[in-house]
Amino acid sequence: MALALMLTLAMVGCQQGGEETTDLKPTEEPIKIGAVVSLTGPYAGLGGPEKNVIDMEVAKINAEGGINGRPIEVLIEDDGTDEKKAQAATAKLIDKEKVVALIGATGTGQTMAMRGDVDKAGIPQVSMAGGTVITQQFDKLVFQTPWSNTIVVPYTLKYLQGKGYKKVALIADDGGFGKDGIAVLKANLAKYGMTAVAEESFKPEDTDMTAQMTKIKNAKPDVIIMWTAGANSAVVLKNAEQLKIDIPIVGSHGNARMELVKGAGAAAEGFRFPAGKILLPDEYGTDSEEYKVAKSFVDEYTKKYGEAPSTFAGHAYDALYIIVDALKKLPADFTSAQLRDEIEKTKDFIGIGGTFNYSPTDHNGLKESDLVMYEVKGGKWVIAK
Amino acid sequence: MGVDAEVTGSELLQFIIAGLKNGSIYALVALGFTIVYASTKAINFAQGEFYMFGGMFAVFFLSGLGMPLALAALVSVITVTAVGLGFDRVAIRPRRDAGPLTLIIITIGGSMVFQSFARHAFGPDERPLPVFTAGPSIDFFGAAIERQTLWIWALTAVAVVALTILYTRTKLGRAMRACMENREAARLMGIDTNRVVTISFGLAAGLGALGGLVVTPLTQTAFNVGPSMGVKGFAAAILGGLGNPLAAVAGGITLGLLESLSIGFLSSTYKDVIALAVLLAVLVLRPEGLFSRASREKM
Repeated sequence: MALALMLTLAMVGCQQGGEETTDLKPTEEPIKIGAVVSLTGPYAGLGGPEKNVIDMEVAKINAEGGINGRPIEVLIEDDGTDEKKAQAATAKLIDKEKVVALIGATGTGQTMAMRGDVDKAGIPQVSMAGGTVITQQFDKLVFQTPWSNTIVVPYTLKYLQGKGYKKVALIADDGGFGKDGIAVLKANLAKYGMTAVAEESFKPEDTDMTAQMTKIKNAKPDVIIMWTAGANSAVVLKNAEQLKIDIPIVGSHGNARMELVKGAGAAAEGFRFPAGKILLPDEYGTDSEEYKVAKSFVDEYTKKYGEAPSTFAGHAYDALYIIVDALKKLPADFTSAQLRDEIEKTKDFIGIGGTFNYSPTDHNGLKESDLVMYEVKGGKWVIAK
Repeated sequence: MGVDAEVTGSELLQFIIAGLKNGSIYALVALGFTIVYASTKAINFAQGEFYMFGGMFAVFFLSGLGMPLALAALVSVITVTAVGLGFDRVAIRPRRDAGPLTLIIITIGGSMVFQSFARHAFGPDERPLPVFTAGPSIDFFGAAIERQTLWIWALTAVAVVALTILYTRTKLGRAMRACMENREAARLMGIDTNRVVTISFGLAAGLGALGGLVVTPLTQTAFNVGPSMGVKGFAAAILGGLGNPLAAVAGGITLGLLESLSIGFLSSTYKDVIALAVLLAVLVLRPEGLFSRASREKM
């Protein structure tokens, strides 16, 4: 039934897909970029802000004269957090809309599902999903804007090692993000002098992890590492509190959402997670270029949408501007191959997730120094000690 | 991991408490399936959405309209019951005699409409609800019971008792049971079967809402939580035996216990596999359900 539902939503999504007619002269015809975003399904909470950012920034770019005089148009398709739908949306954007580049998808699974069509068309794709697999299963056309687990996991373990923790318990969802995180964690634990004393999983739609947390409590770890991004994170924290588990819990960059703090309430106090500096732009130092970019983004977004942007909104910003900046450097009659090469040459691009440096071997472009460890204190994010 | 860890008595108790907690929620959703099935012989796939609405409307009445929690909870159950009644009047009644398959498809459509409505009205993010009684969990022989779990059990018990009284002591309940046995005969005996079906949908919606409402303080709610809970409730109803309310409750609790004991003694990875395997085994060996006497007599 869920499938039927998604299909229907998908069809609705298709019909909504932008069919705007432009009566501009050929030279002013917009440059079309496609975006595959999860506006429905489990990742809707991530995809919503991503769409907001694209809408906001495209309007701004066009108001400022577009790209070398040409406006841009970003056609957003909803993938319903479904891989088949993501693939169908990609095919549509490429074949029907003739987009020059793709932003997307929101999720790792959906991003991977786009690859076949992207390879066939030979156009660049910039993903907003954090799965390691996206840039590790290397494709010269595919780039990524979030911190991948291969950057975040070593950063987190180094932090925990500094705290003197040795025995860790792992808990993760069995979806793409959690599984990927667990794999990278297990591959790196020994390097930082740690061992896993428990490993538990849950389904993204599960509503109670008491049994898993009871087992973790029994294993007596020094620290619990939780790798998940959805609403379940709050449930894990609450279950831990109810079971009176007095062991520190450290999450992933997928937990950088105020919904978690609100949802878990008092149970979130003391919870730590790594993420980029965007949550507290002051970390950059108020006179830096990074601070200016982050601050104006946060202010504009908050003014327009009435709430501060999530980190996911930042990933969309980075994906859009990496493509736009590359387009600005190209002649009017550019080819997709030239666009791809230009994206790969992205150097010192100050985005929201950090400072990007792509290279022929690195399509993630971020470093551990783009991350900070946060702690929840008094219902707010502060820098963890 | 799993088998290597020794399971102590208090841990076993903790697994059982978790199982009973989740099982009670499954039971409330399963009851909704069973009640609608009894009067229409159709599976109401919108049942999970009633569960979602229960939490969502409570959040809306509480944070959106500033009602006190108890009132928000009550108004939410009443609103969702009204949605159930309205759903029957608008979508089910006009096609009531078209057979179960048509009705099932209508309920799938209803589920999509309800979910899209929630997505647009309440947004895509998860929404929290405060616990009914604040305070640390209660120590019970070394195991912890959250206060909200006591609410879950209490409200499930009240719902089951009220339903039992309705079925055994009231004229309406007897009419509903008559419809369950044979709708045509019931109609010939002068029972207003249309009214019975409408009331079934209202009851199913109210029970689903109650489930969603009481669990939201623990889990938060979102527009898309309905289908997966619908699947659990449906599995619970099948496991216990469709068409028998007490069997549905037993089915829900069995499913909850199966899941949490699988995590406790085997591995969290296999939790759903085990629950599904048991469900399949039941369907093959006892298609009428584990606890359903009424339908066995019929077969």
